[in-house]
Amino acid sequence: MKSTAKQPRSEANWPPEEGELVSFKTSTGSETAILKEVHWGLVWRDFILEDGRVIPEHRISGCPQRRVWRKIDEVADNEREECEERLLSMAGCGMDPRKRDQSFWAELNQYLAYTYLRFKQAECKVQDTERRRIDRE
Amino acid sequence: MSRSDEETEEQQVWRVLSEAGLVEIRLDEFAERIRDVKRIVIVRLRELLDFDTGIKERESAAYSLGTLKGLELKVLANAPEPPDPSEM
Repeated sequence: MKSTAKQPRSEANWPPEEGELVSFKTSTGSETAILKEVHWGLVWRDFILEDGRVIPEHRISGCPQRRVWRKIDEVADNEREECEERLLSMAGCGMDPRKRDQSFWAELNQYLAYTYLRFKQAECKVQDTERRRIDRE
Repeated sequence: MSRSDEETEEQQVWRVLSEAGLVEIRLDEFAERIRDVKRIVIVRLRELLDFDTGIKERESAAYSLGTLKGLELKVLANAPEPPDPSEM
């Protein structure tokens, strides 16, 4: 089993591979666990561990400073709609987002970040257009 | 040079989300953050309705608003009971 815990990875060999031991920050310090898979969310990558926990990439030790995030317009309508259905289904089953590092917590975090960016950017574009119109007058 | 000129796009997104408390939502703040995002969607939806344009975006914004409302209700319904003051 390979480990990212002692030797920091470079951007060239990032992200770690499935089955590797990764270390990450938690609310109480640092932990290590085996990586099951890396999965793209609506904004950033999530690292899914063998024990089921979901850790955002930026909390994994050795994550490059220059983060790779998706642009809002890279998310297709059907991907967003599927995410919305999954979230409503998880909430409907009584899952609680206050369980840190669990799938509902992770997916709701990303959905809120994505929705905020999506509509905030649109609002900023409208304000820019309006400002340019006023400047022209 | 302004702060936004010095930042890369990724840094700017990180800052915007951090300032909005949306990078890693605190466990006791989910309902509040959902309400914040709902407000942003409502503002955008109002603009789209005022200008009477962007039917597809309008539908999509309305759907997202419905999703957020549904999530807010469920999150509030599943919230843990506050401690009983008589037991404190």
